[in-house]
Amino acid sequence: MNTYNPITALAVFFALSILAYLLFRPNKGWFWLIRNNSVSNDKIVVEDVLKLLYHNENGDKHLNINDIIRTLKYNDRLILECINKMSDHELIGIKGDSVKLTKSGSDYALRIVRAHRLWEKFLAEKTGFKEAEWHERAERMEHELSKVDTDILASQLGNPQFDPHGDPIPTNTGKIAKVKGIPVSELPIGTIGRIVHIKDKPEIIYKQILAENIHIGSVIRIMEKTSARIEFHSEGEAFVLAPIMAGNITVSVLEKDVVFEENLARLSILKENETAKIIGISKEIRGDSRRRLLDLGFVKGAEVKIDLLNPLGDPKAFLIKGTSIALRQNQASKILIQKD
Amino acid sequence: MNTNKIDHIISLSNDLRWQIGDEFHDNLAEGIYADAAEIVKDSVHKKDEKGAFRVDAKIDKIITSKVWGFPLMFLILAVVLWLTIVGANYPSSILSGLLLDTLHPALKGFASTIGMPWWLDGFLIDGVYLAVAWVIAVMLPPMAIFFPLFTLLEDFGYLPRVAFNLDHLFKLSGAHGKQALTMSMGFGCNAAGIVATRIIDSPRERLIAIITNNFSLCNGRWPTQILIATIFVGALVPASYSGIMSLVAVIGIAVLGMVFMFLVSWGLSKTVLKGEVSTFNLELPPYRPPRFWKTIYTSIIDRTLIVLWRAIVFAAPAGAVIWLISNIYIGDASVAAWLIDSLDGFGFLLGLNGVILVAYIVAIPANEIVIPTILMLTVLVTGISAGAGAGVMFELDSVTATGDILRAGGWTLLTAINLMLFSLLHNPCSTTIYTIYKETKSVKWTLVASILPVIMGFVVTFLVAQIWRLGS
Repeated sequence: MNTYNPITALAVFFALSILAYLLFRPNKGWFWLIRNNSVSNDKIVVEDVLKLLYHNENGDKHLNINDIIRTLKYNDRLILECINKMSDHELIGIKGDSVKLTKSGSDYALRIVRAHRLWEKFLAEKTGFKEAEWHERAERMEHELSKVDTDILASQLGNPQFDPHGDPIPTNTGKIAKVKGIPVSELPIGTIGRIVHIKDKPEIIYKQILAENIHIGSVIRIMEKTSARIEFHSEGEAFVLAPIMAGNITVSVLEKDVVFEENLARLSILKENETAKIIGISKEIRGDSRRRLLDLGFVKGAEVKIDLLNPLGDPKAFLIKGTSIALRQNQASKILIQKD
Repeated sequence: MNTNKIDHIISLSNDLRWQIGDEFHDNLAEGIYADAAEIVKDSVHKKDEKGAFRVDAKIDKIITSKVWGFPLMFLILAVVLWLTIVGANYPSSILSGLLLDTLHPALKGFASTIGMPWWLDGFLIDGVYLAVAWVIAVMLPPMAIFFPLFTLLEDFGYLPRVAFNLDHLFKLSGAHGKQALTMSMGFGCNAAGIVATRIIDSPRERLIAIITNNFSLCNGRWPTQILIATIFVGALVPASYSGIMSLVAVIGIAVLGMVFMFLVSWGLSKTVLKGEVSTFNLELPPYRPPRFWKTIYTSIIDRTLIVLWRAIVFAAPAGAVIWLISNIYIGDASVAAWLIDSLDGFGFLLGLNGVILVAYIVAIPANEIVIPTILMLTVLVTGISAGAGAGVMFELDSVTATGDILRAGGWTLLTAINLMLFSLLHNPCSTTIYTIYKETKSVKWTLVASILPVIMGFVVTFLVAQIWRLGS
C-alpha cells in the first residue's frame, strides 16, 4: 500500500461514478442513446411516415415530401430513401409533390395505430407507469408488436374500443368506433357535456391538462368564455383554462334534460361530520386499483363519511359500509360524491 | 365444419364485446354491488353498536392525534425493542451455557472416547454443531420475545393505525404505509419482515418493502453493533458516559438504516420499479382484545420456528465451511489465511480488513456468527493465544478481552465504525435471500435485493475511510 493516497482513491471513485452516471442516467445516458440509435432502422421510419400521413389524411390535410421531412426527426436522406421504397411497394402514391396513402398503406397505418393505442391501454390497465409516459412508450412499442402480438394483446384486454385518452382503437378488421364531440373551446356558455377525449399531443399542453386534474368521463358546464380564458365547473370545482388547452379537450354534449348536479363533488373535499352518497369512480382509476375500491364497497349509492383524520393530513380514513378504509388524497379526488 | 362454427362464435363474441364497449365490466360490477347493498339494507338488521363504537373512536382519536400519535408510537417500539434485547440476554446465556459450554465439551469428550478421527470430530462438532448451537442460542430467545409482542399489537389493531399515521412519509418515498410495519418486523428478523410484506397488496410497494427490509437491523446484528460500540465508541468518553455513548451510536446506526430505507425506496420507485402496478388502500379494523394464547402459539409456530429452522438449515453448512477453510492447507497456509491475505488490500481501502470480509463471506448464512468467526480468524492470523484452535468459533465473556484481541488484529476506531456501517449495509443472510426468492418468485428481484446493499456498503465504508484518513 505504498502508493495509496486517499485523495487519489477518492478521485478515481468520483471519476468512475461520473462515467457511470453519464452512461446510465435515465433517458439521456449514452448507453441508452447508443442502444436506441442502433435499433432505429428503415422499418421504424416507414411506419412513422405512414402514421403521419394517416393522421393528416384523417384531418383532410394532404402532405408533400417536404412536409414529411420537416415533421419527422430523422436524417433527411433516410426519409427520402424510405419514401422511395414505400412508393415501390405501393404503400403510397406520389403525384407531383403530394403524397397519398394507398389502400394497403392505409391498412398498414391502421395496424400501427391499433398497436399504439392498445399498448397505451395496456400501460394504463396493467402497469404503474404515469400517464405522461404512456405516449412515448407506445411510440416505441408500436414498431415491435407484430399483428399476432397485437391481436393477443387485444383479446387479453377484452377488445377495448377506446384507448385511455378516448381515441378509438381500430379492430383487427379495421373498424373504428366514432367519437362524436366538440372541443371545449367551441362550446357556448351554459352547455353541459361529458369529456370524451383529451389529446396527448403536444406533450406540453397534455401535461398541463393532467396537472389541472381534469379527467375523461367528467361532466362539465361552461360558465364563462372570453378570448383569453374559458371557465367551466366540474365535480364541485371550478377550472379556468386557456383556449389552446380547452381546444385539446373534447366533450360530447349532453341532452338538455340531463340535470347537471351542482352539488356533485369529489370525495377529497368532504369535511368531518359531513355525510355523502357515492356517485361513482372516475375513469382515471383503472385496473387493479379500481377493482380494489369496488371490492371495498366504494360503489354507487353507498353512504360515506370521514372516520379519522391523519396527523400528517394524508391519507384520511373513510367510513364506508361500517368499515374504516384509508384512502390517499389522489384517490379520493377521483371518487365522485353527492353531499347530503 | 365444427372448427368453422367455433371460429364463428369466437369472432361473433369478439364483435359483440367490442360493441358493448369499455364500461360494460364496470357497470356490471357496480350494479352487482349496488344490488347487494340494497338487499343487505332491507334484510339485515344491526344491533345498536354505538356504545362499542364510541370506545373505538376515543382510542382512535388519541392514537392518531397530532400530539400523542407519534410519541406513543416511538415509545411502544422502544419498549418492544428494549424488552427484546434486554430480556433475551437471560435465556440466551442459559442456552449458550448449555449448548456451547456444557454440551460442546461433552460431545468432544464422547468423540475422543469412541476414537473418532480428529478431522471428522472437528468437521462435525467444531464446525457444524457449533454453528447451529450458536445460531439457536443467539437467535431463538429474541425472536421468541419479539414476535409474540409484535403479533399481540397486530391482533389488537394498533399496527394498522401506525401504518395510517406514517403513510404520508412513506408516500413521499413512493412506498406504502404498511411498510412501517414490515420495517419494524425487520428489526426482529428480516426474513420474517419479508414474509410480512404479504400484507401490502400493491405489487410495486410490496417489492419496495421486500428490497429495503434489509436496512432494518435484525436481531442477528444488534449484538454485533452493541459489542463493537461498547468496545470502541464507548471508550471515547469517560467511563461514566460510555454506556450512553455506545447506545447513541447503536441507535444512530439503526436510524441511519431507516434513512437508507427511505432513500432506496424513493430511488427504486422512480427507476426500476416505476412500471409495476401501484394501488393503495388500508383497512382500519376495529379494536379487539387480543386472543393471547392463540397469538403466542401461532407467532411461535408460524414466525419463530419456521425462521429458526431455515436459519439452522443454512448455518450447518456454514459451520462446516468455516472449519474447513481454517483447516485445509494450501502450501504453508490455510485456505482462510490465503483468502484473508488476498482480501486485505480491498478491505483496507474500505477501512476494514481481510478478516472482516472473509467473515462476512462465510457467515452469509447467519449474521449471528460474524463476531465469533472474526475472533477465531483474528486469532488464526495473528497467532495470539486465545480460543480453542483453528476453525473453532468462540466468544469471550469479557468485553475488554474481546477488545484486546481485535486491537491485536490491527483494529482502530475507523475499523469499528466501518464494521458497524458494513453490518448495516451488506447482503441479507441466506435465509432472507431464500425468503425473498420464495416471496417474489423472481431471480431478478432477489439479485437486486441481495447485491444492492453490498454495493451501498462498499461505497459508504469506502467514502468514510477516505474522508477519515484525509482528516487524520
